[in-house]
Amino acid sequence: MSRAAANLPEGVLAHSARDRRLRLFYFLTAGLLLTLVGGLVWQQLLRKELYHEREQRQGQRRVLVPGPRGRILDREGRVLAGNHARFGVTIALDELAREFRDESREVRQNYRAAAEAEPPSSAQLEQIARITVVQRYLSSVDTILGRQTRLDPIALQTHYREQPLLPYFLLNDLAPEEYARLVEQLPVSSPLQVFAASMREYPQGPLAAHTIGYVAAGMSREPPEDFPGDNLDTFQLKDWAGRDGLEGKFDATLRGGVGGVIIRVSPAGYRLNPPLVKLPPEHGGDLMTSLDADLQAAAETALTAVDYAGAAVALDVHTGEVLVLASAPGYNLQNFTPHVGQATVNDMDARNAWTNRAVAGFYPPGSTFKVITAIAALRSGALTPDQLMEQPCDGRIPIGNTWKTCDNGAGHHGALSLSAAIAESCDIYFYQAGLLTKPEVIAAEARRFHLDRRPDIELPFLSAKNDRSLIPDSAWKQRVQHSSWFQGDTANMAIGQGAVLVSPLTMACFAASLARDEVFTQPTLLHDPGAATQHHERTGLTVAQRDALIEGMEGCTMSTSTVIGTAHSLTNPNLRIPGLRIAGKTGTAQSTGNKDVAWFICFAPLEHPQIAIAVALEGDKAGETLGGGSYAAPIAQEILRKWNEKQTHAPVPTGPVRFTLPPESATP
Amino acid sequence: MRLFNQLSGQARPFFTLGMVALAWLLVPAAVKRFARAALFEAQAPILVTAGRVRELQEYWALRTRPANELIAAGHETAKALAGYELGVARLGPIEEENMRLRELLAMPPQPGWRYEHAAVDVRDFSAWWQQLVIRKGSDYGIPVDAPVVFAGGVVGRVREVHAHTSVVALLSDPGVRLAVAVEGDSRPISYAGGDNPVFGPARGTVEYVPTDLIASPAVPRHLLTSGLGGVFPAGLPVGLLTRVEPSTDGLFNIGEVRLPAALSELSEVTVLVPDATLGRPDLRATAPKP
Repeated sequence: MSRAAANLPEGVLAHSARDRRLRLFYFLTAGLLLTLVGGLVWQQLLRKELYHEREQRQGQRRVLVPGPRGRILDREGRVLAGNHARFGVTIALDELAREFRDESREVRQNYRAAAEAEPPSSAQLEQIARITVVQRYLSSVDTILGRQTRLDPIALQTHYREQPLLPYFLLNDLAPEEYARLVEQLPVSSPLQVFAASMREYPQGPLAAHTIGYVAAGMSREPPEDFPGDNLDTFQLKDWAGRDGLEGKFDATLRGGVGGVIIRVSPAGYRLNPPLVKLPPEHGGDLMTSLDADLQAAAETALTAVDYAGAAVALDVHTGEVLVLASAPGYNLQNFTPHVGQATVNDMDARNAWTNRAVAGFYPPGSTFKVITAIAALRSGALTPDQLMEQPCDGRIPIGNTWKTCDNGAGHHGALSLSAAIAESCDIYFYQAGLLTKPEVIAAEARRFHLDRRPDIELPFLSAKNDRSLIPDSAWKQRVQHSSWFQGDTANMAIGQGAVLVSPLTMACFAASLARDEVFTQPTLLHDPGAATQHHERTGLTVAQRDALIEGMEGCTMSTSTVIGTAHSLTNPNLRIPGLRIAGKTGTAQSTGNKDVAWFICFAPLEHPQIAIAVALEGDKAGETLGGGSYAAPIAQEILRKWNEKQTHAPVPTGPVRFTLPPESATP
Repeated sequence: MRLFNQLSGQARPFFTLGMVALAWLLVPAAVKRFARAALFEAQAPILVTAGRVRELQEYWALRTRPANELIAAGHETAKALAGYELGVARLGPIEEENMRLRELLAMPPQPGWRYEHAAVDVRDFSAWWQQLVIRKGSDYGIPVDAPVVFAGGVVGRVREVHAHTSVVALLSDPGVRLAVAVEGDSRPISYAGGDNPVFGPARGTVEYVPTDLIASPAVPRHLLTSGLGGVFPAGLPVGLLTRVEPSTDGLFNIGEVRLPAALSELSEVTVLVPDATLGRPDLRATAPKP
């Protein structure tokens, strides 16, 4: 006891500060204080990053938004595929964990009360609970909107399994009025949230559906590297990916860049403005196609009117730009957004509407091939323009061991010059021309005009593998059919029958090449206002030979006292285009499956060709015989009519057109 | 033994606190709700009394003004009332004509509203919430979510209803969201409160603003209720859209809304109580008496 303590009242104890016994407590206190300070330093300084990250995770959210997809335009800037905002409702599944648990418990109790022999497993109970809870929320939305929506349990389960932290899309087709009702009537802190996303829209309706192609929900894409918040809960709207047509081919161009925001969220779940980080998404690049919406519409309307499967292709003769690429039956791209339904798929299957027949339809070219036979005959010297055949057309001719007939016109064309034979499409004439020319020469000429392969064009899924173009010859027949080449094969090939197969795009390119007196046209679906005229190898025809050829092709579209062209229907008052002279060739062939194929190829105006067209129709309707002149030519005429309306009319010369060939091109 | 007694004596308050907390956890939810409501109801007389005291203060403050000033204010009020009377008189035939045309077109009747005017007892502004306590509650049939307006436009919507008072979430509250439209344009825009800086007036924000709608501080655009949301009638002023900028979705703009300054000084508001028995709002029935 200290001395000071001696003066204290009785019962009061005092200790000196230097009391040795107290040192233990000093050390103990100091140790505890040091522990506290150390803990403070540990937590506040050394583990700062950890808590900062936790705070971020709890109070911040990252929302990634894909940039709007670029538009697809026609050559005049009209929107073929654009974007519009579509409102929808999402539900945050991660905020419903407690409700799922409570519901699961209740369902379990119900099963126990019902004394079910085989109650569901725990996993099944949780699944039932999730569906019940989400359906309940969906019903509350339905009540506000006055609609009835069924939840897709499989889609919900898939989403929960794969992306439980991301909101599930309950509805994505809200009208603006519906979106307004939800904005005002859903609590701000509800797991249900309204969102807007970019959707594809097609202002021109089903126009050029095969060429434009469709989009589907694509994979989520990574934001730019400098966009922070990798560790935050992230809500990402799915991007759209092109699956077919130009959408697929130019997907990288059309896709926008990912942007987004990092927002703060209050403990009550309210979003606090303004965002902490904001990165506007980049708009995808626009694509200006070479298509002309007016001409495309004219082609599709005409194709739909005849109600046959087929295709129509129109090219700018000089640049090779595709003005029309139409395929029938078509479809409405709007049915593919936001996703394609089973009903649409079934309908497309039933109508066989998936195929773009303009590039993936392969048909025997029929009499349109006679132009190739004629060129081969003229260039090889087997024929001269005014030469008459040994046997005039009296309807049939013996070739090999069989009789071949003339199926065009009256079938008794008599003695014909080359131009008249082209105009009236006399088979007897071209059987003999083919035999005179030899099959190897005809095949070589067809290959020189690139008819043995489909032209490259900016569309997906067009590989050499699925290119069924074919120009047969004896080697091919031996290899594939293990048979020799007979005279009948030559006769068939001379009129575009037998094994010859070409696509409508190929024949449109052929018509454009012929219009420029060249052997090749490179088509393109992209518009370049400054595109120069293409130059390729010349046909090698003399002026007289070309004149005879063109005269025959013009005769095909006319009806005079001496020649009745196979497409003379174009002179009917309701089809005729005053002042427009057309060089054309019809064709009618039989394809596999005993289907008739009607063809018409042409270019116009005859004096200075600007547009080349190929139309092909396939079908086997009972009681109807497909003919190039009566079915395919009027479709081309509708395209020409629209094209003619859009031109600035210049004075049209009359009388025979003499062709002055342009100088030789340096480009092969 | 003494040490044990001493320690147990010291620990008793903590033990009691723990027991109370445990008991509260075990109390049924209904009892908790009742307790909470009872607490608010117990506070309500205090809030109402405070409101009445404030009114008394204002009354005595006015009594200190010169008589001439009071007479002038009375004249101004009378003029305003006359103006309103005239407006209501003009509106009557228009409403009747509107009703007649709707009947001719077989359109569904518009929702009717009953007007409940209520005094403001408490104005409670913070960064977390912005709300008023008004002096009417379920005793006047006020429902949760009912729209609340004043002479300058929208005030907010009813968040909680008690026996004699209601809590109104103001337009600037982060929990308020409504479908608005720019004057002269019918496309709905989402308005939300919550942009409340510590120093400065509360602001609202808008989302999904069509990109062709332009606004700037120099040329602001009036925001009105769209009437499409199903809660607020159309055409009530909300604020001024003073700024727009592209949103991150690239499809719309977002914007900033300047709210009426009077929102923070309200002493009287009107609750619009939906009333199915009314085919349309009867403005003349609720017009102030001269």
